[in-house]
Amino acid sequence: MTPSLPTAENPYLPQIAVLDRVKDEIADVKTFHWHFKDPAAQELFQKFRPGQFAQVSVFGAGEFPASLPPSPTEQKVFFTVRQVGSVTTALHRLKPGDEFGVRGPYGNGFPMDDYAGRNLVFVAGGIGLIPLRSCVIYALSHREKYRRIQIFYGSRDPRDLMYLSDLREWEKSAGCECHLTVDRSDDHWQGNVGVVGSLFKKPGVQVPVENTTAFVCGPPVMFRFVIRDLTAMGFRDQDIVSTLERYMKCGIGKCGHCCIGVAYVCIDGPVFTFEQIQRLGEQI
Amino acid sequence: MRARVIARADVLKIVDLLRPEYEVIAPFRGRGRDTFFDTVTEANRALIQIHVPNPYYPPKRFVLPHIERLLTVRRDEGHLQIEPTYDAPKRAIFGIRSCDVAGIYHLDRFYLGREPRDVYYARRRRNLLLINVVCTDIEQDIDDVCFCMCADTGPAARDHFDLQLMDMGEDFLVVAGSEAGQVLLANPIFKKGTAAHITQRQQILGQVRQRFKNTTSWFSAAVRYITQGSILDKTWEEVGNRCLECGGCTYVCPACTCFTVTDRTTSTGEIERVRLWDGCALSGYTRMAGGFNPRKAVHDRRNRRFFRKLAHYFIQRELAMACMGCGRCAAVCHGDVGMPSVVEMIRRATAELDNPQPESRTATRTESP
Repeated sequence: MTPSLPTAENPYLPQIAVLDRVKDEIADVKTFHWHFKDPAAQELFQKFRPGQFAQVSVFGAGEFPASLPPSPTEQKVFFTVRQVGSVTTALHRLKPGDEFGVRGPYGNGFPMDDYAGRNLVFVAGGIGLIPLRSCVIYALSHREKYRRIQIFYGSRDPRDLMYLSDLREWEKSAGCECHLTVDRSDDHWQGNVGVVGSLFKKPGVQVPVENTTAFVCGPPVMFRFVIRDLTAMGFRDQDIVSTLERYMKCGIGKCGHCCIGVAYVCIDGPVFTFEQIQRLGEQI
Repeated sequence: MRARVIARADVLKIVDLLRPEYEVIAPFRGRGRDTFFDTVTEANRALIQIHVPNPYYPPKRFVLPHIERLLTVRRDEGHLQIEPTYDAPKRAIFGIRSCDVAGIYHLDRFYLGREPRDVYYARRRRNLLLINVVCTDIEQDIDDVCFCMCADTGPAARDHFDLQLMDMGEDFLVVAGSEAGQVLLANPIFKKGTAAHITQRQQILGQVRQRFKNTTSWFSAAVRYITQGSILDKTWEEVGNRCLECGGCTYVCPACTCFTVTDRTTSTGEIERVRLWDGCALSGYTRMAGGFNPRKAVHDRRNRRFFRKLAHYFIQRELAMACMGCGRCAAVCHGDVGMPSVVEMIRRATAELDNPQPESRTATRTESP
């Protein structure tokens, strides 16, 4: 029998988390490494799937949904959060040793097992790499299960590239191809300049279409253009997956805020195929 | 299910019977049309109203309070202490109408019908007893806006109450709808009913139903067109233009389930996490940090409300439409876009769809929201 936590009785009850260290990623974006005070909670939480999310509480400011950028294979937990509203601002003010609340993991996550034997193409823009990082690390640590793995990542300028140490590692890795681009270069940038879709046409790049799943995550404009590019290349709607974000208050299908059509993003998502997204029928 | 009767003069003895164990809630009159549910005390017991226009502020708040504390958080030398706070007194609602009984059952389906169950709702619900009064006084109980017959919830609830009372003049007919109700019925204040009472019940209900003959809400067509997503954008825009975004319809609705959650600091320095009723009519409902709002246009939000209440997917999930026909939204809406009016607007617009004019054929159709 799995150990039972207070959250099993009360799903609204956060567990106490302790902030270990904070790492600056890019402007306004920091990574928060933390652990649960209760080791049993940590052990249960650690079983999350790539693409799931957690509800993060900074008491007095409130609670917000945050994607889980670590892979369950890494044995560590952290959030990467942009300071954008009142609760994320409060989180950004926390110091190592400070306590906050976490409950979850929630949502469906990416069905990584279903993609076994397929090529994986990751396309991310800006902070859209945060939720996809989990899948990339997971796929690389189960390398034998997948065929080709490609990563296409773009940001506005070189200073906005996330997870630099991971990117360097992926660029060097024999297990995947990693292509980076920026919309605007600076004096030091020697890589590709252009939107992320321009990478698909770069000489030497060949994107497999057959038996391939494409993961797309980024700002709405980037999303629209990448979908157009992928569709033109021959990707079917059901082979393109993404993860949606919505205002959420509960994470468990009760508060109603994240509902799109008949789908609750918190329990039916946040991962949807492009085919499903189109059927939701609202702007995403 | 056996029927009992209680003499008219004795009917408030049911309240007396319950009060030692329960906080008893009953309807009272304020000024004018104003009516409200309140706790029965020695002082107000004689003022309890059996026949009364249904209060606008729905009894839903006894299972889902308008503002409800979920947790308290204390800081003790830098360490957090998080305590869930449960407040679930034993309560009985005496005089709850059939539409509101159906409303509470709808909330049961929503909050308890699938995992994870809502623990706050579950605790309150477990301690709640429902003493339903059938709407039989066509002057007092039934408003022009009532359309429970169209929503199939009234005037007499068929189930989901503990006890049901029906005014038959000299006596009230009493029926138990649960085990707790059966136990109550064993009390000697209830006498044996006769076959004549059952016949009389049918007669009274037949007469009462006549009162609804001008109140129609043709749900089936609205359900079909909303589910198909075949309602024209211009119909939603027409509804949206009349919506003043006050949120009134959601606050009076016995079936609305949405809430928001916020933290507040008390005077003693503790932090409370509370949940509050929220409404999809309000513009901040889907607005994310940073300002992006996927449902910015008011007609998108109106579309959302009626889609959530009437789309077949949700009807299948909750076993009923999320409209109980209580008529409150129709009564409080300044723009007259309560449920019956919108159902009527959809019906008129879709009549046009079925016999299309050339221009409406080419108009864009709205997908489900």
